[in-house]
Amino acid sequence: MTTTYKLPVGPLHVALEEPMYFKIDVQGETIAGLDITAGHVHRGIEYLTMNRNFIQNITLLERVCSLCSNSHPTTFCMALEQIAGIDIPPRAEFLRVIADETKRVSSNLFNVAILAHIVGFDTLFMHVMETREIMQDVKETIFGNRMDLAANCIGGVRFDLDTERKSYLGAQIDRVIPLVGKIHKLYLTDRTILSRARGVGVLSKSDALELALVGPVARGSGVEYDVRKKAPYAAYDQLDFEVVTGSDGDVWSRALVRIQEAEVALDLLRQCLQKMPEGPICASLLPEVPAGEAIAKSEAPRGELIYYLRTNGSDRPARLKWRVPSYMNWSALPLMMKGNKIGDIPMIVNSIDPCISCTER
Amino acid sequence: MKELQALLQRELDERVGEQNISLECRTNRKGVTTAWCRLKRIEDLLPCAQMVKALSGRLSTITASSREHARESGTHELAYHFDLDGDTLTVSLLLPLGAEVDSLTPLFRNADWNEREFMELYDIKIRGCLNPKRLFLDESIAPGVLDRLIPFSALVNAASTKTLWERILANREEGQ
Repeated sequence: MTTTYKLPVGPLHVALEEPMYFKIDVQGETIAGLDITAGHVHRGIEYLTMNRNFIQNITLLERVCSLCSNSHPTTFCMALEQIAGIDIPPRAEFLRVIADETKRVSSNLFNVAILAHIVGFDTLFMHVMETREIMQDVKETIFGNRMDLAANCIGGVRFDLDTERKSYLGAQIDRVIPLVGKIHKLYLTDRTILSRARGVGVLSKSDALELALVGPVARGSGVEYDVRKKAPYAAYDQLDFEVVTGSDGDVWSRALVRIQEAEVALDLLRQCLQKMPEGPICASLLPEVPAGEAIAKSEAPRGELIYYLRTNGSDRPARLKWRVPSYMNWSALPLMMKGNKIGDIPMIVNSIDPCISCTER
Repeated sequence: MKELQALLQRELDERVGEQNISLECRTNRKGVTTAWCRLKRIEDLLPCAQMVKALSGRLSTITASSREHARESGTHELAYHFDLDGDTLTVSLLLPLGAEVDSLTPLFRNADWNEREFMELYDIKIRGCLNPKRLFLDESIAPGVLDRLIPFSALVNAASTKTLWERILANREEGQ
């Protein structure tokens, strides 16, 4: 006789060290359904932004989330610059890419490291984290901080790369590229990874499209959508890169997309160092911001981040709304989990690289 | 931009009627277009969403106006942001307080969380919502609770002291 019962997981779980609550229906060891309850740490940051001026909001928004912290202020600045009619200097466009792609390498490596940890391959976990640590050092050296870069200002960026720092960044990229190449090969061929991640948590391309998923989760199912290509911003239209997609739609496919996107990010960093023009890094004085509204989108490490900003002529947003990639990606979990085993739950949850901090804005 | 604007104008004229919308398009120097469509009638939302679906568009997100704005104006302003292969169409409408707006979940499954958030945080009524259960707050908390409670940020932020006491006094008057 098969008995169905509910299995509560969370809000605190070893594989998901942030509060989110799941109810999982299981039949024996097999998952039959999933329900998600959010809201444990909803912080009302959108409301807070309307009580702070534009410059204060750059700092506040960088704290929505740590792993994709740079994407929030960048996208907010893009929206504000549209309304204020500011074109950021060409050098600042490249520097924004450098900040974003540095964060992407770290964020993606962190996620695939956790996958290794979940499957019990802790030497691989440590190896990936050690590689990631080089990028953490890069952030600390260039920006002075390992997570929140404080790279953006309205009209450009707050950091620059002199010859010495360009040379340092180039050397670190050269160090990391072969290491990520080896990690890529390991995830492609290692039997432990393959036996645990292949064919697990499968999501079809049609379901990914139906649920409006974005980022590596969608691309792992073959959806070729990347904001950097579809709606170019900063210097992405001047850089040469391909959108990475997978075809299997499983945990393995999503991990491979992230590793390949880290490789693309490293290449983009190298291109930026080669192509970045000289010149100012920020537009001159901030003009008065008129009443208006704007949409800005960027490709955060987890996918499309969209900002809607409305201004009313004051120095504060009349309304600021953003939607993070995790917001929709959660909805893929019930489909990914159905028919899989209880033991696969942490791995499937990790494969959407969920950001609760972002979701609970 | 001209192609997208012409396409949207044609489609919207057919489905909604030229007299019931205003459409504006802006394209930035990277060639990315944002289109802004304002609806005069609430019932035209579904035909607009059907148009986006027919154009293989995607619902990106939905924005509701702030509670203060809604209280002052007597209307919620809703802005539906759709992705059209990288370009963005924002369809906005004014919803009188207490009125209902059609759910988009039958067309776009990802409208689910957005609409549940509206019902919960703004007390906006959604017609035909397929999954009208709470999203962000505990089930024991009543709808529109953020309209009535004092946010923690206001409570602990010294800069907001005046706002806090104004809210307390207003609530007391309402209670009397």
